[in-house]
Parts: sequence; structure tokens; C-alpha cells
Amino acid sequence: MTWRDKTVFVTGATGFIGGRVCERLIQAGCKNVSAFVHTPHRAARIGRLPIQLRLGSLTNRSSVREALGNANLVVHCGLGVGRGIVEGTENLLEASAAAGVERFVHMSTAAVYGLTPKPGSETEDAPLPHTGELYCDNKGRAERSVLSFGRRGLPVAILRPSIVYGPYSAWSTRLIPDLRERRVSFIEGGKGACNTTYVDNLIDAVFLCFEKQEALGQAFFITDGERLTWGDFIQAHVKMLGEEITLPNLSLQEIRDYRRRQPGMFKGSLRATGQALRSRELRQLLLRIPVTKRALDAVWHWSASLDERSRDRIRARVGIRPAIPAATGNHRPIPDDDTVATQSTTVFFSIEKAKKLLGYSPRIRFTEGIALVEEWLRFANYL
Amino acid sequence: MSDPIRIAVLGCGTITRGEHLPAILRNPQVRLVALVDASEDQASKLIQHFKLDCRACGDYRTIWGEIDAVINALPNHLHAPVTLEAIAKGVHVLCEKPLAIRADDARACAAAAEANNIVLVVGMNRRFQHNHELLRAVLNEGTLGRLQNYDWQMGGPFDWNSASGFYFSKDQAGGGVLLDYGVHLLDSLISWFGPVTEFKYEDDDWGSGIEANVRLWLRHQGTHGAVSGQVRLSRTYPLSNRLLVQGTDARAELPVESPDAVLLHRQLQGRAVTDELEFASSGKIGSSTFDRQLNNFVRSIQKLETPRVDAQQAARVLELVERCYVRRERLPEPWSEAGATAGVRT
Repeated sequence: MTWRDKTVFVTGATGFIGGRVCERLIQAGCKNVSAFVHTPHRAARIGRLPIQLRLGSLTNRSSVREALGNANLVVHCGLGVGRGIVEGTENLLEASAAAGVERFVHMSTAAVYGLTPKPGSETEDAPLPHTGELYCDNKGRAERSVLSFGRRGLPVAILRPSIVYGPYSAWSTRLIPDLRERRVSFIEGGKGACNTTYVDNLIDAVFLCFEKQEALGQAFFITDGERLTWGDFIQAHVKMLGEEITLPNLSLQEIRDYRRRQPGMFKGSLRATGQALRSRELRQLLLRIPVTKRALDAVWHWSASLDERSRDRIRARVGIRPAIPAATGNHRPIPDDDTVATQSTTVFFSIEKAKKLLGYSPRIRFTEGIALVEEWLRFANYL
Repeated sequence: MSDPIRIAVLGCGTITRGEHLPAILRNPQVRLVALVDASEDQASKLIQHFKLDCRACGDYRTIWGEIDAVINALPNHLHAPVTLEAIAKGVHVLCEKPLAIRADDARACAAAAEANNIVLVVGMNRRFQHNHELLRAVLNEGTLGRLQNYDWQMGGPFDWNSASGFYFSKDQAGGGVLLDYGVHLLDSLISWFGPVTEFKYEDDDWGSGIEANVRLWLRHQGTHGAVSGQVRLSRTYPLSNRLLVQGTDARAELPVESPDAVLLHRQLQGRAVTDELEFASSGKIGSSTFDRQLNNFVRSIQKLETPRVDAQQAARVLELVERCYVRRERLPEPWSEAGATAGVRT
């Protein structure tokens, strides 16, 4: 009996990674796959697979227990928000321990070392820092819970992928329209380390964790093992568009200077609200909520009573002006804080441990992976 | 004016809350008697929410004596059986699409309605978009010249907040995107271009029977001669959401964001121009396709109109759906196959 004959329970199954885990399990010949679904309307991708969809929420213990049933293998790609990341993981760990699960593969992230991992975090033995980022720190706490259950006998393994890309990945589905609309700048010439992980390489590692005893109680960085920069990753997408696009460059110092000149919390929020309200879809959605509808109606009435010039002055003040993305004087788009942080690391994670203990070997190189992404983007109408 | 038609709604899910109930409340010709849902609590909540003067009910079989008509908005697998029960009790039915999950059952509904002299209309609300009639007029007028082909894409990430979650159950939904909103497109295409004489069908079902993506090539034979075209449907990808009909003289476009307009693209002295066609008087402001559909239902009961979409037409569409499923080919997903096997060392 191999792992293919066992019952596999996948959380986060409606997401990019969890969805592909389900597909790969079916492609590998698994007959008994169940997927834990929190938001049924996101289930269109996995809904076409011969698997069982089980509704519930990671933060609801009894629904986790019930959905898990007597599964043998668990792949935990589910996330949650804030502390929910930890709570959901602990609920699943408890249920798995009680059900005698044979393998619990925990999808963590290299971001347990922060969005901008510091030199010294290249290998898994580096201690987890306090990063100050809600997501990173909670993923770190979740790892600690997993290891603690591991010490008490639950057969656990932790994977820490970095920039997971592939069909359905938001890295690509966001980057394409952003490039089209010229909303992308290179940060420091695009020289930041981009630890790409093709989604199917990552799932190979999941399957290796099912097979290998050496996986137990361990955490593994999983990447493609190539030393790509963010410039390479972005340029690969530029190439797909088939147009000449010269991306502007920003130094970290320039971004910091720009941020310093920005309005404070109150003014900034007012301006951002004004800009958000320029979206017709958002306005229509807000009009469905009675309280916001009343507020918008009141604002509408009030503004209708003003003369043209006062109205224009207010519109300019709250930023309802022709759409210009945040940009420096010479029209270089300013990336948001998370993008800046993610693209400014110099650390390339080592996959030596995964190679040695799991026998992991990245099957799909970046050139092949990005070609598959391009093929998918074309089919999916993004290109 | 005659007495209002006493009506009940079966199924208190998203479509009832969002469309059928508001349409009923705006229509003076109908009086809502009951809201029915397997979860009576769900029905009560809706009554409170809309401050309705009607009763909540957990079993539709208890209401037949009190009503003249029902809107059947239950999950797909209950459309045909409950419609048949209503017909047997002498109650007129507006049934949500698809009328059935098998063509046989749809034909049985059509036959029963006819035998019992009951009005049975099917909720193909898109037929009440003005662009449906506008395009028909454009085609009949010959504005496009000789018809060459059409291309219809519809879809985006699925966001229907289904109260019962039946969409991903094969037994309850009967199928995926083709049976869900695909029937709207097939219904419209058959009504414009005539019966389908040839087709090729691909979907991405991996074994659950709930496809998320469809590619369909069709050939029709009708009053405009032989017309071919292709349809793409998706619950996962953002498609262009428009129909293009190409003729030798001009191209008609139905953009999804303006359901009451048809765009006509053509050349004027060598330059590309676009006309936007709309009915000069397009009815009451705020009237939705569900208002128009309900109105057609009511007036059909009053024998003032005929149903825009009857059970026979719905059955023809479902026959085509069934044939598609029987002759389905797997939609190629090379990125998925390659990802699973590329570079595997033997």
C-alpha cells in the first residue's frame, strides 16, 4: 500500500496551492481525496475533480473534526486571518492527532523569516525571528505548534516555499495587468533575490513528505534552486506581452523619500477613500449596504448643493481627479510596502536539506515553468 | 383590473432574495401568499428582512390550495419534480432555469402543462434584455450583411453565493457551467440562428460532472441560413463577456455591461465607426429583466400574452446540453499535464 491508496485531506483547497494539490493527487491516481472548503463559491476549480468537498471552517473545531473523518494524510494549505492562522492550525493538529493521522504536511512559508529575510536565514537552522509582520509572525507561531505536536507523536513535516508561481498564481495574474497599465517599477534595478518555487515542484515535495521518514519533525525550504532576481521574474512577464516596455527604476532611498512626503493617516485615508469611490463597482456595492447608502446619498445631496467651483476644490482635495497611480515626479509608479519589502531581500534560500533528507530535486526549471504559466495565461484570457 | 394573482415562492436562496422577491413587490398584479423553504427559518428571515405580509412555510405541499401560481427557485434537481406536482394541482409555474437536469423530464413538464392547460414559463431572464430583441431586429433587417460567424464568451471567477451550496453537487446541480448559465446562451443562440445541426464540445470536468470551463463550436440552420460560431464559458477565468456577430457588412456586439444595448461596428467611408442601438422608449426605469419576466408570466396567465420562453424551448436547449455531455471531449490543459509529468526520471 502506498500513499496513493490512502485517504488524503486537503485544507485551503480552494486556493492556488491547495487546488493544485488536489489536482495532482487525482493525477497521481488517488481515489480518496477530500477537500476542506470554507468558501463554496471559490470551489469552481476543485469542483470539477472527483473528490469530496467538505464544508467548514478551520476556526470551528467540530467542523474540522467532522470533515477530517478518518483521513490518513493531511496537507494543510489553509490559512486564516491573523491569529486565525495559529488557531486554525491548532484545531487541525488536535483533530489529526485524535484521528491517528499518519502524516501531517504543513504548508508554511519562507516568510517566517519576514518579508525581507535577513542574511543568515539561508538555512533552516536559523532561529525564527520576531518580524513585526502579522502574517509572518503568525505563520511562525503555527510552525511552533506543528513541531510541538510532532514532539508528542504526530508525524509532521513542514514546507517553507517562497515565491510560489504557476497557473492560477496571483503573482502572474496581477503582474500582467499591472505591466499593461504601466504600474510597475524595478526596485533597485530589480536585483533583489526572487526565490521562485514552481507550484508543481512544491507539490513534489509534499508527496516526498508522505513517503520519507526523514521528513518527520523537520522544516524544509522549497524553491526551484535557481538564483533568479525580481528583475528576471518581472522581465519574463514583460516578454509575454510582446511589447517593448522599459520599466522605470526606483532606489529604496527614493521610495523612502516619497513616503516621507505623503499625507498622514487622516488626510491619506480621505484621499484614498475618494480614489476608491471612483470605482463604479465599489459604489454599486456600497449602495447595497443600507448604512453606506444613506451616507453616500447624504454626501451626494450635500455636494449637489455646492457651486461648481467648491465642488471641484473638494474633488481635488479628496483625490477624485483623473486616475494617476501613486508615482514620483517623473511618473515612476511607487510599489506598495509589501512589494518593496518582498523584492528587497538578498537571501537565496538553500534547498540542500530537502535534497538530502527528502530526495527533493526541482523537476521544472524556471524557463519551463514560466512557459507553462504563459500558456495558461493565454488560455485564461489574461494575455 | 382582475384580482391579483396569488403567488408563492419556493426556495429562499440568493436568486429569490435578490431578484424574484423585489420583482414581486414591484408588481401590483401579484400578491405574495407564502415563502417556502426546507428551512422555514430561512423563509422567516426573508419575511422579516423585506417586512412581508405573507407566511413562512417549510413544506410546499401544504400551500397548493392557497395559490394560483408559484415561482420555483429550488435547487436544480427539484425543478422538474416540484413543477410537475404544481401542474397536477392546477398551479401555474415560473420555473428557474434549467427546467430539469434531463431533457426527458423537461418534455414531461411541457406535456403536463399543455394537458392541464397550465402556464409554465422558464426563467431565461436574459430573453428580456432589450439587446436580445434588438439583435433579432438587426439580423432580420440584414444590417450585418451575410452572416459569417459569432463568438460568445461569458464567464469570470464564480461568485454566486449559493445558500444551499448545491452548485458543486452533481446530484443536485446536474452539471456545471454549461447547465448553469450555458443554457441562457444556447437558448438565445437557438432563438436567433435556429436549431443546431452540428457541434463539437469540450469541457474540463475531471470526473465530478461539474465542469468549470467549456468550449463549444456550433452550426445552426435557420432563417439566416447556415451560421457557425463558438462559445466559451468559464467559472474560473475572466472572459471578455461579450457576443460578437460578424457579418460581411458590419459586426454586432452585445456587451454584458449594458444588457439593453447593441453596438454596431462598421466602416464609414473607410473609417471604423460604432453605433449604439437602444430602444427609444425602453420602459420603466428600474425595471429589471426579472420584472419583465414576471410581467410576461402574469400576462400569460391572464391570456394577454404568450410565454416568451416556454417548456418546449427549454426542453430543446436541454436536449442540446445532453448531447454535449454525451459527446464531450476533455478540454486540453497542457500546463496541467506537463506540470505533473515533465522531467520525471524513469
